[in-house]
Amino acid sequence: MPGRILVVDDELPVRDMINDLLKREGFQVKSVATGEEALEAVDNEDFDAVLLDVKLTGISGLETLKKIKTKKPDMVVIMITGFGYDDELVTKSNELGCSGYIGKNSSISQIISCFKALIKDAKEKIK
Amino acid sequence: MDPISQATQILNQKILDEANVIMLYLDPHGIISMCNKKIEEMVGKNRRELFGKHWLDILCHDSNVVIKQQMFKAVLDGAIAYKRPNIFEGSIVDCNKKEHIISWNITPMLNESDDLAGLLLLGNDVTLLKEREASLKKIDETLLNILSSIKEYSLYVINLEGNITYYEMGFESMFGWLKSDIIFKHVGLLHTSDDLKHKLPLILEQVRTNGHYELRLSLVKKDGRIFPVILSVNQFLDNEGSIIGYIFIAKDITEENKLEYQIFQSEKMAAVGKLAAGMAHEINNPLFVISGRLQMLLGNKKLPKGLRDDLKIIDNQADRIRNLIDRFLTFARKTSPNEERLDVNKIITNVLPFLSYHKLPSHKIRITKDFAKKLPLIKGDSHQLQEVFINLFINACQAMPEGGRLIIKTVNSGGEFVRISISDTGHGIDPKNLNNLFMPFFSTKSEGTGLGLSICYNIIKNHHGFIEVESQVGKGTTFIIKFPFIKKGE
Repeated sequence: MPGRILVVDDELPVRDMINDLLKREGFQVKSVATGEEALEAVDNEDFDAVLLDVKLTGISGLETLKKIKTKKPDMVVIMITGFGYDDELVTKSNELGCSGYIGKNSSISQIISCFKALIKDAKEKIK
Repeated sequence: MDPISQATQILNQKILDEANVIMLYLDPHGIISMCNKKIEEMVGKNRRELFGKHWLDILCHDSNVVIKQQMFKAVLDGAIAYKRPNIFEGSIVDCNKKEHIISWNITPMLNESDDLAGLLLLGNDVTLLKEREASLKKIDETLLNILSSIKEYSLYVINLEGNITYYEMGFESMFGWLKSDIIFKHVGLLHTSDDLKHKLPLILEQVRTNGHYELRLSLVKKDGRIFPVILSVNQFLDNEGSIIGYIFIAKDITEENKLEYQIFQSEKMAAVGKLAAGMAHEINNPLFVISGRLQMLLGNKKLPKGLRDDLKIIDNQADRIRNLIDRFLTFARKTSPNEERLDVNKIITNVLPFLSYHKLPSHKIRITKDFAKKLPLIKGDSHQLQEVFINLFINACQAMPEGGRLIIKTVNSGGEFVRISISDTGHGIDPKNLNNLFMPFFSTKSEGTGLGLSICYNIIKNHHGFIEVESQVGKGTTFIIKFPFIKKGE
C-alpha cells in the first residue's frame, strides 16, 4: 500500500514524529507547517493522501481542506486533531469532503491502522 | 309701615336672597313662614307657594307621613334638648328632579318665656362635596386595593423616632408580622443588629441629604430568618416640605439571587470549560509526540529489558494523561444529547446494578427507591443520563464507607418538571465546598479526577434541567435534579 503522504501540522515535533512514524511504515513523507504551503505542495507535486491538522497558523485546517478539495476533488484528505472527537468538527469536515478524522489522543497503533484503512477505503471509492 | 322700616325690611330680604345658603324660618310646628331665593330656585316654587307648607314636604320625597313626623320630631327634640344648633343631612329633589344633599343647621328661636318661637334653618348644598368625597373614597379604596395586591414588594413608613407607623403591600407575608404586633414598634425589628447599629443610620443620613437611597442588604423576618432584599428609602415630607419620617420599599430577591448565582455558576463553568478545552488541546500535541516517540522506541526489539520496562512505565503514565484529557474534553464540549423519550424510573433501575462493579461497599448500603407511579417522560439521551445517575450514586456510596442509606425518590413536581432526589446518610459536605462542587477538577476525594460532578452538571444543563445540593456535615447529602417533561402534543 504505502505511497506519498503530505503532512500538514504547525508544530515541528509533531511533524517530525508523524514523519518518522509513517516512514517506518514504508510511506514517503513531505511535511509542511501551514495551509498555504500545503496548497502549493498539492499544486506542484503528487500525493496519495494529505494528513491535515485542524488547527493551523494562517489559514485554518478546514479552509485548507476546502481549497484542496476544490483543486483536487479526488485527493484523500484525512483530518488529524488534538481536540479529540468533536461532533461539530467532524460534521464540517465531512461536508467539505474529508475522507476521515483521527484524534491525536488515540494510540499510535490505532492512528496507523486507522490511517491505512482510511486511505484504502478512499481509494476504493474513487475507483 | 314707616319708610325706614320698609327699607330695612327690603334690605333684609335682599341680604337673605343674596346668601348662597338655603334659609327657612319655621314655626314650632315646622310650617314655613319665611324663606329666601335659594330655596325658591331649587324647588322651582315661589315663596307664596312655600309659605304655609310643612318643611318636610319639600325636604322629604318619601310620601310616608309617619316617617316625616318622626323625622321632624327627632330634629325638633334634638334642637330643643340641646338648645343649640343641630346639624344633620337630608336631601331635596329640585325642579329638574335632581337630588341635592343638604347639610341643615337648625337653630331653635326662643321667646322671652324661653319657649320655642320658631326654628331657623340654614341649608348648605353639599352635593358636590359629597360627590368629591365619594370619588376620593373610591380612589382611596382603589389605591389600597392596588397596594395590597402587590405582594412582591413591601412598603412601610417610620417616623423620626424610627417607629413603624404604616405598612402596606406584601409586608405581612414578607416579614410575618401582623399589624397589631408591629405598629409603632421600632424598625430595628426588621434589621440585623449589625445593620441597625452601622448601616441604618448611614442610610437615613443619605436619604436626608439626597432624598433617596437604594441598596441591597439583608432583613430579618419575625421568625429570625434572614433574607436578601433591594431596599429603596425615601423622605416622607409634610405639606411644608419638612421630613417627618422615611418610606421604605423592600423587594425580596431570594429567588433572583438563586437564579443569578446559577447563571453565574453556569457562566463560570462555561468560561473554565472553554479555557480548559484550549489548554487540553495544547497538551494533546506534546503528549502525542511523547507517546509516539515512546511507541517507536518500544518497537525496537533490541531494547534492554530494564530500559523497556522504564519506557513502558512512562508510556502508561502518558496514557493516563491522555485519558484524563479525553474525559476533560468530553466535559468541556457541549454535545447535543439524543432526543429519545425516556422514563427516568427505568433509567435509574437499569443503572443501580452497576454499583457493584465499582468496588463500593454497596452490600452495607440499604437502597430505598420511592418512585412516582406515573412519571411523565422526558426528552434526552439515555447514555448521558445513565452517566449522571451512576456518578451521583457512586458519590453517595463513597460518602458512606461504613454503610448507610441511599434514598432515591422520583416525583412529578407539579407544573413542568420531573424531580429526582438522591439522598445519602454519609459524612456530608463542608459548607465552604458547596459553591465549588460542580467546578471541573474540584474534588473532596484523594483519588478521582474531580470531573464527575462537572460532567453531570453539563449533561443536566444540556437537557435543560437543574441540579442543586443540600448537605449537612455528619448527617448526609441530597442532590436534587429536575428535568422538564414532555408536554402533551410534543
